[in-house]
Amino acid sequence: MPGSRILRVLVALFLAAIAAGWWLTRPLTIAPDDLPDHEPDPLAGERIFWAGGCASCHASPVDGKRATGDDKLLLGGGMELDTAFGVFRVPNISSHREDGIGAWTLVDFVNAMQHGVSPDGLHYYPSFPYTSYARMPVADVMDLKAFLDSLPPVAGRVASHSLRFPWSLRRGVGAWKRKYLDVAPIVPAGSSELVERGRRLVEGAGHCGECHTPRDRFGGLIHDRWLAGAKNPEGEGRVPNITPGGKSISGWSAADIAYYLESGFTPEFDTVGGSMVAVQENLSQLDGEDREAIAAYLKALPAID
Amino acid sequence: MSNMKSRSLLVVIALAFTSPLVAGNDPVHERHELMEGVGDAAKPIGQMLKGERNFDAGVVMTSLRTFDDASAKFGGLFPPGSETGEGTEAAPAIWEDRAGFEQALATWADAVDAAIAAQPQTLEATKPVAGEIFKACKGCHDNYRIEDE
Repeated sequence: MPGSRILRVLVALFLAAIAAGWWLTRPLTIAPDDLPDHEPDPLAGERIFWAGGCASCHASPVDGKRATGDDKLLLGGGMELDTAFGVFRVPNISSHREDGIGAWTLVDFVNAMQHGVSPDGLHYYPSFPYTSYARMPVADVMDLKAFLDSLPPVAGRVASHSLRFPWSLRRGVGAWKRKYLDVAPIVPAGSSELVERGRRLVEGAGHCGECHTPRDRFGGLIHDRWLAGAKNPEGEGRVPNITPGGKSISGWSAADIAYYLESGFTPEFDTVGGSMVAVQENLSQLDGEDREAIAAYLKALPAID
Repeated sequence: MSNMKSRSLLVVIALAFTSPLVAGNDPVHERHELMEGVGDAAKPIGQMLKGERNFDAGVVMTSLRTFDDASAKFGGLFPPGSETGEGTEAAPAIWEDRAGFEQALATWADAVDAAIAAQPQTLEATKPVAGEIFKACKGCHDNYRIEDE
């Protein structure tokens, strides 16, 4: 009968579509042999830790407030990010073997940081900004793991995210990654070694674009508006445009930008505010040359209104 | 005589009640202007620290005196009822945690006093004392100022 034949074809097409979808959304990882020949260096990793601002999300809040001083090194997680997709809960990344990531191998860590895949083979949500970390040199990620291993273990597991449907379907992140996970530089290779160093920090570990670049309706960064300012993801107002075409810092010299990142003071001697306070404090821990590199990169960006 | 005394006492009491009202006629505006002045005074010191301007002990001292004057007045410019208006950046925490706010202001005043007592004559001597003042600025802004952007 033609009717049952059409039905059979439709069922077959439907199953094929599911299979294709399943295949397209599968977690993609690297194997231990794919790691570069590099001896992880915890001291170099500390630089990446501050550049990346890991503590800003992963340090356990103290009495409901963000951790300061040495408490920034206690990475038990627990902070909540209340977003349009639901509540994301920041996990424990301390060296605790059961509750943290102390038992992870180096390749587990690289897969999490740069491929957004957990050791169990599940996708991470991009609230963990691996789309930025994917642009880091792999050796830097390996160094960071060595530094995290040197920090104290913190007991306690954090509850999982509470997301709204359809965002609660974790497998769907695989499709999102197909579109948004890319290791190519966002701004073409720098004109100088300093700009290039800045590019690695800003586009990679520093993940500056996650707040300073607007997102499309699927939550992916709009590269045409790279660092040109965005809605504040944590509340009212806007995160400023930091390209040479913006109003906020286009009048600043590279030295002004570097000094701001070091001291928290603008050229008018106002102080850093909002979410940037924690970022500035982290960046103040870097070598001066890293802050100069960030400033040089920002000055070399295409100007966007 | 005693009548005179009680009359002058009354005048004193009346003044005590009215003068804050007169002085605090527009506290939002006043504290804004005062803080603008503090920023203007901080700028030359900052430029010296950044190496954009030659060190001048006299300019540093003038700025320190501006800080001293402002830190003495500032705490009095947040009376009840001045929580909002004129685009104020004062955070509700000033009124909710008055003791913490006063403490942050005291940290600022102490750092200014220490800098004035040190009478810095070189850039090297200015760096640490100015650093403590700037740290106090940041410390207070982090908790008691809201972002207008």
